[in-house]
Amino acid sequence: MSSSDLVAIVVTTIVFGSIYGLVSIGMTLIYGTLRILDMSQGSMVMVGGFVGWGILTVATWNPVVALLAAFAVTFVLGVFTELISVQPLMSRRGEIDFEMVTFITTFAVAIVLANLALQIFGPFQKNVPPIIHGGISIQGVHLDYHSMLMAVTSILLMIGLGLFLSRTRWGFAIRAVAQDLDAARLMGVPVGKLYPLTMGLASALAGVGGVFLGALYFASPTAGDLPLLTALIVVIFGGLGSLKGTLYAAYIIGFIQALAIVLVGTTWSLPILYGVILLVLVFRPYGLFGNPSEARL
Amino acid sequence: MIAAAERVGRLPRLSGSSWTGIVALVAILAVIPLFYSNDYIITVMITGGIVLVLNTSWNFVLGIAGVWNFGQLAIFALGGYGAGLLMLHTGLPGWVCVILGGVFAAGISILLAFPTLRLYGIYTSLLTFSFAAVVQFIIVNDGSGLTGGSFGLDTVDGLYPGLGAKAQIHAYYWTVLGVIVVATFAVARIRSSRLGIALQTVRDAPGFAAARGVNPLRYRVIAFAISGFIAGIAGALYVSFNQSITPSVMGLTPMSIDVTMLVIGGLGTIAGPALGTTLLTIVQTSLVGYPGIQLTILGTILLLIVVFVPGGLVGLIVRIKGRISRWVSEGEGGGGGQEPLEPRTHAVTFDMPDEQPPEATTPNA
Repeated sequence: MSSSDLVAIVVTTIVFGSIYGLVSIGMTLIYGTLRILDMSQGSMVMVGGFVGWGILTVATWNPVVALLAAFAVTFVLGVFTELISVQPLMSRRGEIDFEMVTFITTFAVAIVLANLALQIFGPFQKNVPPIIHGGISIQGVHLDYHSMLMAVTSILLMIGLGLFLSRTRWGFAIRAVAQDLDAARLMGVPVGKLYPLTMGLASALAGVGGVFLGALYFASPTAGDLPLLTALIVVIFGGLGSLKGTLYAAYIIGFIQALAIVLVGTTWSLPILYGVILLVLVFRPYGLFGNPSEARL
Repeated sequence: MIAAAERVGRLPRLSGSSWTGIVALVAILAVIPLFYSNDYIITVMITGGIVLVLNTSWNFVLGIAGVWNFGQLAIFALGGYGAGLLMLHTGLPGWVCVILGGVFAAGISILLAFPTLRLYGIYTSLLTFSFAAVVQFIIVNDGSGLTGGSFGLDTVDGLYPGLGAKAQIHAYYWTVLGVIVVATFAVARIRSSRLGIALQTVRDAPGFAAARGVNPLRYRVIAFAISGFIAGIAGALYVSFNQSITPSVMGLTPMSIDVTMLVIGGLGTIAGPALGTTLLTIVQTSLVGYPGIQLTILGTILLLIVVFVPGGLVGLIVRIKGRISRWVSEGEGGGGGQEPLEPRTHAVTFDMPDEQPPEATTPNA
């Protein structure tokens, strides 16, 4: 393995790991707080991509506007998704298989969003320009500024989320609900407002990720499928509901993919990834930092 | 156990009139092609019927056994590819290939069951879903020419190579109808057998089941095997009827359609898959020119049904029936009594299977 291979692996790991972290941390936050696996997160990436396309390609405004707009739009969509697909079920929480039912309702939202996008924008892929152009070369490995900015933004946003959760009143409330729903309710935490807020916030992170990913791939109605799959893998690999686990898992999976891309090529990176995940789940069914008692049959 | 008792969606034990109704329905369906010669509609019905066989198998593992298996489409496709390859490369008669396709799919399904044995809920769904993604990926990128990659399998003869076009369609129609009837009754029988009660107990109260000596692991493997076999037969019918199969039968879109069918009909019920598949096939066929609108409506229906009609259409029908019979029996009061009120027996018995204690099921039985 040459030194340029090594550089390529390191760089790809950081870039992939950061964006995976950004796209999947919302899912973990939602699972940790609401105990639902939000299948609409992929659609938020897709919507973010289209917002990026609309503002950067059609309106040719400033990239910062695109990022903020994607944040705002997907935040509202996330709140809306919670209100229509989770809130009506809250009162029946004890009688139904809540995880299964919300899995299906958020999946339904994902179907509707993807096909509305198909209806509005058509099936063709839209080009989203990079946030900043240009790049540098390290040891013969090309690295564009866009990917670097994506990694940095992802890391900053994740730090921001960490500060929000550990320093602010609303962050305390989210963590309290994640720990014990009933106790949090008794302490006067407004759960009815907290759930939409959590889902809006998580969706907004995925939406910002979507603007970046749009430039790497394209904006299209199916652009959310791959991020959704990856996010599912990351959150379950890391242990559902564990923010720390998700971060580690994001970079480990980024590393596995970087290794596979450099050593055997892009085509096989995804099956290799799935193979590794299958093995990990067989030997450690609750993921890296999950709660063992939850995952066992 | 409360959840087990409240789970709606059980049809009442079939009375004599219900049996008559079912036999009449099957008979009417069987003679349709003799009087109605719109080949397009018959073809749509055959395709819908194959999907119904698949959904019956999926309903068994997802609804009755309660295992979050989202790899069923890959099992379906593998059964189809297995049968198709046998038809292409061996001289075996078509129906043998179809059955071997089912056996092959059941084998793969059992292999898939083993890594999920230690998992529960969402974790199972991810593992099975990854499995499906890998299968699809391998077939799409298959360069050896065996499966034909994304273009699909070479043209196969199918089940009835000797017949003319019209006769073939009729033959497939009756074949699929027969398989639907057999599969549905098999699943219904299994559900009320000791095996089925054990599976449902493991689903609703795994701790209780284990304490009563029901081994969850063993029963999960059996559930995978049965549902895998039915799904493989469905795949083999698919490849025979369409004379080919492509990897596009897997993936998110077909999966979302099938899940919607199951949920709308009523997951875990016997009539649910048939109701849901019929209804959505009609919706899909009438919106066939507008793929985007089609799925948007589908997703909206799915959301509304899950939120407002728990238990799906079958659950709704059971509740309405119960309400009517209660209302009827109240209206009758204590007067008369000369006529045995048939609806009342329904109201009393419709959730009887839940009450049956699973004590008869021991691992050594």
